[in-house]
Amino acid sequence: MSAVTSRAALENGLVVVARENRAAKSIAIRLVLEAGAAFDPPGKEGTAALAGDLLDRGAGSLTAEAIADYFDYLGVSFECGARRDTLEVGIRLLAQHLPGVLERLRILVAEPTFPEEELRREKGQVLTSIAERDQDTAAVAEMALAETIFPEGHPYRNPRLGTRASIESIERRDLAAFHRARIGPGGSVLCLAGDLDTRRAMDLVAGLFASWTGARVARAVIPEPPARTRAIVVSRPIDGKTQADIGLGFPGIRRRSPDLPALLVLNNILGEFALGGRLGKSIRDRAGLAYYVYSRFTAGIGAGPLAVRGGVAPQNVRKAIDLMRKTIEDLLRRGVTAAEMKDSKSALAASIPRRMETNPESASVLADAEFFGQGIDYPEKLPRLIREVTREQVEDAAERYLTLGRHVLVVAGPKLDKETP
Amino acid sequence: MNNRKRTGITATRLPNGLTVLLREMRQAPVVSVWCWYRVGSRDERPGITGISHWVEHMNFKGTKTIPKKDITRLIELAGGTWNGYTWLDVTTYLETVQSDALEGMLRLEASRMSECLYSKTEVDRERTVVISELQGGENDPRSYLEKEVSGTALQAHPYRWPTIGYLSDLQAITRDDLYAHYRQYYVPNNAILVITGDFATREAQKLVRRHFGRIPRGAEIPAVRTVEPRQEGERRLTLRRPSGASYLDVAFHAPAATDPDFAVMLVLDGVLAGGPTVNAWSGHHGRGPSKSSRLYKALIEGNLASDVSTSLLPTRHPYLYRIAATAKEGIEPGRIETALAGEIDRLARGDLPARDLERVVNQFQARHALESESTTDAAHQLGFFETVASHTIFLDLPRRVAAVRAEDVARVARARLRADGRTVGILLPAGPSEIQAASPSGGARA
Repeated sequence: MSAVTSRAALENGLVVVARENRAAKSIAIRLVLEAGAAFDPPGKEGTAALAGDLLDRGAGSLTAEAIADYFDYLGVSFECGARRDTLEVGIRLLAQHLPGVLERLRILVAEPTFPEEELRREKGQVLTSIAERDQDTAAVAEMALAETIFPEGHPYRNPRLGTRASIESIERRDLAAFHRARIGPGGSVLCLAGDLDTRRAMDLVAGLFASWTGARVARAVIPEPPARTRAIVVSRPIDGKTQADIGLGFPGIRRRSPDLPALLVLNNILGEFALGGRLGKSIRDRAGLAYYVYSRFTAGIGAGPLAVRGGVAPQNVRKAIDLMRKTIEDLLRRGVTAAEMKDSKSALAASIPRRMETNPESASVLADAEFFGQGIDYPEKLPRLIREVTREQVEDAAERYLTLGRHVLVVAGPKLDKETP
Repeated sequence: MNNRKRTGITATRLPNGLTVLLREMRQAPVVSVWCWYRVGSRDERPGITGISHWVEHMNFKGTKTIPKKDITRLIELAGGTWNGYTWLDVTTYLETVQSDALEGMLRLEASRMSECLYSKTEVDRERTVVISELQGGENDPRSYLEKEVSGTALQAHPYRWPTIGYLSDLQAITRDDLYAHYRQYYVPNNAILVITGDFATREAQKLVRRHFGRIPRGAEIPAVRTVEPRQEGERRLTLRRPSGASYLDVAFHAPAATDPDFAVMLVLDGVLAGGPTVNAWSGHHGRGPSKSSRLYKALIEGNLASDVSTSLLPTRHPYLYRIAATAKEGIEPGRIETALAGEIDRLARGDLPARDLERVVNQFQARHALESESTTDAAHQLGFFETVASHTIFLDLPRRVAAVRAEDVARVARARLRADGRTVGILLPAGPSEIQAASPSGGARA
């Protein structure tokens, strides 16, 4: 893979990664900026998402209409969205359009104008989305987990869309300030994958983006959530729902943590392998309680949550929570088996080539590895790192991260009788 | 049946009737195997609605030669991903794995076709899982509205009930019902096997014959006879459910995939919402309206809606073209309806400048290519179209779409988006006091 992948850092700090794949006449572009929801200014939650939504609604001398017409006429798809750590642009195009598309991309990220009229309209759309989100049991459960695991003022507490009050308070100058502070070349990664010559593509990007001045974002420090001394239970009733969403959460790990491979294996055994790992076997397969039950962790610049999630009928909430706890207790008490270790390690290691099959997938994986400081050869190294994980490491990670008794339990959905959780 | 030189696709049929489509793609050391059956909710009747989807679930629960725990395990050990889905016309199972695991996947699909177990215990456990899937879907007001609109727009054709089924049927279906449905439809002459990716065609053909060749042909499958009568008058429904917003869902009667008007409808949809897709698997992921499309301009830039989406998918029989919108706060859904009618009227009048038409054609061509780039997508597209009609329709669509003229779009808009043939559903938020218990006849998308 490295034979056709190149990496270069421009003087302004932008890191460019290009990967050649001639299998199809298309290219995928991924631009990753350290400008996610975690960097929303206090009281202005939702700024990153709004800035992302408005990036293609006016830039330099280009109107929203001109930008849309350019992309749509060529059949180019353009998406921009905020995640927790990052603001990410994803573009898919037929290869012959690369120079023009890159030229527009540069204008969009370097000179967005955030027109008042567009902002007003977009705020209205976001307010509607917030009202919908607050009626969505899964979204409410996820938010409650973040709000409980992370203390007041912690950047990972920020809801991606913001709140009604924060959205109403955001003005054009807030977006401009956010752009000045966070959307710049330094610390950002631009990755291209597809039908291209890596050297020519690098030259093209360098020619267009070398003059991009602006924020040089140094990688932020995200504080660890404080250690909890007891369990917390949060109930978020939403009227008229036929199903409840459960979340059982713990603080997880950073992307750069040496525990990452062990946690990948642990998570796979607990709530991923086959049909939701041990959790799936117990709660879906044997008890028939849930259509979905799984565990997941999101490791970013800072430690995101590690959570067990499931959706069940109101009368089964207590039973499902009991089984979630039992599954974790059992794992802690008896550890994992040699057969589980073998299966999960083989599955995870063998899945890497498939996860990078298409241009958008490989652009995203490579940009991510570069952005989080793992290096573009990380996808090549990862299978080996996974195979080296030992049973002791997995059991040790379980001890340290599945801290039952100091967990956060949330239930969102139908109102439950008092003693349910 | 063979036209490999031109298309890169080898199409054959085994003596037992199994259709096999092969396409070598050497971009990564992976293969994608999809086994399709011509069975879906259209093959059901009241009393057993949801049975095709439940059968799909049961077919992950072990066979005479592959224990339950190994069905997904073997795929994941090969670095693979797996899934399955059921819809109106189709049920399908897929595995995308490292290429050296191809034979294991063929063994699995052959076994799934012919010797699944259906133990009573597994049937009972899965009943509550499927009901949980239905209830999860009912939590979402938009899918609730969509289901109600489908059941109102279609009054005779079996496309009218939800693929997930009605709750009462899910509570009543027996093990023997499930097994009989499985035995009737899971026969080689009702199946299509698609393999794409890193393999050699000759070798793959040998493996396919080895694993599927001995499965006996089954009885011919009865065709759906009912034709939906022409709708002669608008139908409307207003629902009140707890929700964060108001929603509008408008359905029109759409042409089947084989109808020459299908390509015209794709262009029409492209003018309204942009970026028309024919990929039911991954094409709708993140598909908002294109920002140069007419509905984006009229509804989003017009400050009426916070979200708009449209849907037109290839089906065996005429199904629905739908336009759904989320009303912005403080906006009556009726105002969206009026603006929408204005845009449809524009199309019917033939207001379609050449550049607008070119843009839609370009968008379609790009999507057609991009959405069959991965081995998984490529296999899906060939299999989906072959199951519904023929994979050659998929291959021919770029040509057919490029041939659409402005007057075709106007004609189809007048004929198919007429007010007398539409069904308009509105969902308004209900306060807690107005909420009833979930309807026992509810359903949701599978």
